[in-house]
Amino acid sequence: MVGDKGWKKWLVICAFLLPNFIGFLFFIGIPILASLGLSFTKWDLLTSPEFIGVENYKAIWHDAEFWAALKNTLLFIILYLPTVLVVALGIAMLLNKKMKGRTFFRAAYFIPVISSWVAVSLIWKWLFNPAYGLVNYFLSWFGINGPDWLQDPNWAMIAIVLTSVWKDTGFVMVLFLAGLQNISETYYEAADIDGATPFKKFLHITIPLLTPTTFFILIISLINSFQVFDQVMIMTEGGPAGSTTVLVQKIYNHAFRYFEMGYASAVSWVLFLIIFIVTLVQNRLQKRWVDYEQ
Amino acid sequence: MKKTGIFAIILLLLIGIVAGCSGESSTGKSKDGVVTLKYFAFSPGEAHEKDLKAMIAAFEKQNPKIKVDYELASFEDYFTKLQTQIAGSNAPDVFELNYENFVSYAAKGALLELDPLIKKDKEFNPDSINKKAYEAFQYDGKQYGMVESFSNVVLFYNKDLFDQAGVEYPSESWTWKEELEAAEKLTNNKGVWGTYAPVQFWEFYKTIAQNGGSIFNEDKTEVTVNSPENVETLTWMMDKMNKYHVTPTEKEMSGQANEDLFKAGKIAMLRTGIWMFDGFKDVPFKWDIALEPGNTQKAHHFFANGLAVSKKTKNAESAWKWAQFMSSSEEAAKIRIDSSWELPAVTDEALVKGYLEKSPPESREVVFKALDSLVVPPVIEEWSKLTDMFGKELDKVKLGQETPENALKNVEKELQTLIKK
Amino acid sequence: MSSEIKLAAKKQQKAVFTIGKRKVLRKLLFYTTLGLGALIMIIPFLWMLSTSLKEQGATMTLPPQFIPENITLSNYSQVAESFPIWKFLFNSLFVAVSSTLGQLLLCSMAAYAFSRLHFKGRDTLFLIYLATLMVPLQVTMTPQFILMKYLGWLDTYQGLILPGLFNAFGTFLLRQFFLTTPKSLEEAAFIDGASHFRVFFQIILPLAKPALATLAIFSFMQSWNNFLWPLIIVSNQDLMTLPLGLSNLQGRWATDWNLLMAGVVISVIPILAVYLFAQKYFIKGITLSGIK
Repeated sequence: MVGDKGWKKWLVICAFLLPNFIGFLFFIGIPILASLGLSFTKWDLLTSPEFIGVENYKAIWHDAEFWAALKNTLLFIILYLPTVLVVALGIAMLLNKKMKGRTFFRAAYFIPVISSWVAVSLIWKWLFNPAYGLVNYFLSWFGINGPDWLQDPNWAMIAIVLTSVWKDTGFVMVLFLAGLQNISETYYEAADIDGATPFKKFLHITIPLLTPTTFFILIISLINSFQVFDQVMIMTEGGPAGSTTVLVQKIYNHAFRYFEMGYASAVSWVLFLIIFIVTLVQNRLQKRWVDYEQ
Repeated sequence: MKKTGIFAIILLLLIGIVAGCSGESSTGKSKDGVVTLKYFAFSPGEAHEKDLKAMIAAFEKQNPKIKVDYELASFEDYFTKLQTQIAGSNAPDVFELNYENFVSYAAKGALLELDPLIKKDKEFNPDSINKKAYEAFQYDGKQYGMVESFSNVVLFYNKDLFDQAGVEYPSESWTWKEELEAAEKLTNNKGVWGTYAPVQFWEFYKTIAQNGGSIFNEDKTEVTVNSPENVETLTWMMDKMNKYHVTPTEKEMSGQANEDLFKAGKIAMLRTGIWMFDGFKDVPFKWDIALEPGNTQKAHHFFANGLAVSKKTKNAESAWKWAQFMSSSEEAAKIRIDSSWELPAVTDEALVKGYLEKSPPESREVVFKALDSLVVPPVIEEWSKLTDMFGKELDKVKLGQETPENALKNVEKELQTLIKK
Repeated sequence: MSSEIKLAAKKQQKAVFTIGKRKVLRKLLFYTTLGLGALIMIIPFLWMLSTSLKEQGATMTLPPQFIPENITLSNYSQVAESFPIWKFLFNSLFVAVSSTLGQLLLCSMAAYAFSRLHFKGRDTLFLIYLATLMVPLQVTMTPQFILMKYLGWLDTYQGLILPGLFNAFGTFLLRQFFLTTPKSLEEAAFIDGASHFRVFFQIILPLAKPALATLAIFSFMQSWNNFLWPLIIVSNQDLMTLPLGLSNLQGRWATDWNLLMAGVVISVIPILAVYLFAQKYFIKGITLSGIK
């Protein structure tokens, strides 16, 4: 290409990349490395940091609360991820047709997405009120005596998952819609000539051709779900009896409540490692199921 | 090439950390010799911000060369912010500390020792402050803070409900037994509950003291939490809900605050802080306060807030003046009392008289009587961890996942590792 | 006609009738499902609105009052009196808009470098960018805070905005889009002697409008939602954003749902209005992008 030689080439590269790269280095790169360094120290912010080697990581291994938080986070993901994917895909399929009121429906499903997590958590905390909340009131119509939700360790996580699915469905749905609209009509037309049933078309055309979108959604949602925090903080603060304490909250507690910066950093690096491995595995597996035909 | 890149990054990183730790703070001194102090506080909240402003105005009038810039945070956010500000060497010159956190800040050397300043200050007399409260802000025998206010928890009761049920008002001689008898008569099917005390850590350490128990031994070298008395106490706290049904469970309260239930005339006896006087001022029924019933002995909470001076301040003398003003000046005490914003720890009886004469409640002398049986929070360095861990175990008892016996056994084990650290 | 043919015709008639009935039934099911879903999405907001218009005692009644018996606006005035809620709103908007514009420029430029320029270590560097996507905010929070202090940016708008600009997500998203756009146009431009800048601004960016819209919406919502970072670096009430302000409301009125919901309404309505007005762009931004 033209002008791609010598110092001129580097000038162009610098002009495009440097503004972003410098900021990236200062606000992301250095802080990440600094926190890696911190994870080998003991630091309460008041006295100077003290190097203690891998002691923090050893302590994590023996920290029952860490394993409980990991378990809760995984539980959240296992409950949340399939639910939001299935619900959002279902609605996207329904909305991917020319029909009356389509704009209205799409808009309605998207409203929770634009509201802030703090606002949504507050609204649902009120909806989940055991005596005066709407959720239990509706359940009472069907003769169901609703649980204590946020005060009951068996239900608190489910309440948080329901809130999260409610908030994120619209977002995932719009991504699916984008993917669906990328599927060329010709595939369906060809299938119609072959006399395929709608279910068969869904199974053999929609699902395979949607895999790139699904892969993207899966990667983003999984990373986000490992970092679940805001809704937990506002709705339960990790209670009752620690049943909703998630990993990021554990980091928050150690960093900004117990002021153990070193330990908090170490936990955050373990979290990073987990996310990294999961994403790596997903990337490896993608060749087996993601269909990049276009 | 690659290696130098990594080296440069590490270097930058180190520079960043060093610069962050030693970054200079401005001296806060302007050209005309006026010193600006940064003050950080949580206790005014939204309700008493105007009173803090009035105090600052009075102080600046006395000390025209000092200006006080204040910043407020809610109690939940306060310590996170304070700690990060100190870490970023952005520490305020003077800041509030409650008794519990005072201990850990003093232990970590973040506070300026005040004794030299006290000696230099001819106008200040330590006798003007309640001795016990003054000494609460000492660490290792040195003064690191100035108590500004204290508050405690007493038994609030709804007189109308007592009259309707034909029960005699609580008296000083009451024990848990009398409280329970009265509560059973007061509880009715119209949604009135006899008595209420939350099941949480703060309530627990006081209630065990009412039964002769404790969490640690005197010098906090041994854990004494798992004792028969404490098991009995925790069982009693739970029984009021589950066995005698004189206290609403969390489900029965369905997210309503106990203070709101008291205000609505749904709780006859409530253990809560004297900071609620103002909030209960306009309720449509008569109410008063009494000493808390104990089992084998009396015990009452004691919460104190104080002002501490940052070790890094450039304006130690002005900072001391402000701390001393907030702690022992007549002006500050008067504003505090007039606005019912906790109690100043001053000994001047004339000032306290103004407080006692106010009503409701009529029996304000109870607030001072309660000081005779005060228990201070069992503070250790790992205080937040202790309160979190305790809260979790008590949650389990409340949820019926753990018996009081087992919960205290778990707590004992955890506490032993916490104090060994 | 033989009876056999008659029978067949009847059968056919019946079949047509069943298909018609089935179609209606399917349509009914279709709309019921969608409608029910939409109700679930909307009712919480209506409940929020209704609660915010109730008097203190009316929030805790059974059965709940869907339409308050006595409608009052006093909750709103109490919230506005106790908190500078309009200031929160302004801050939220200002921070979200600035960080969106900043991200659009910075990320598209970097994405261009990562997709069109060739240099040694490019893919490694991009992988490093990508890897940071997985790093939770909590990892960088404390070091970032100290950095802010060193720069004197605590309690400032730049402290609120700048660190958020360098999220690798935008670069990732735009690079993926650039990779899929055909190169023929730019190659023609290069042959005509156009510089990289001209190609970038006149060919790549206009082509990338849908992806840019997507990123704009992503980053706007992210900034609008952000809670933890403002919590850490802002202590001055005049600089608080809505989520932070709301959490302060909760700290003060833990169980006064009428007041809390009034605060939530104030925080939700403006963005809702913007959204309903510009809804097309919001959803098209994501829909058209064809994320791959």
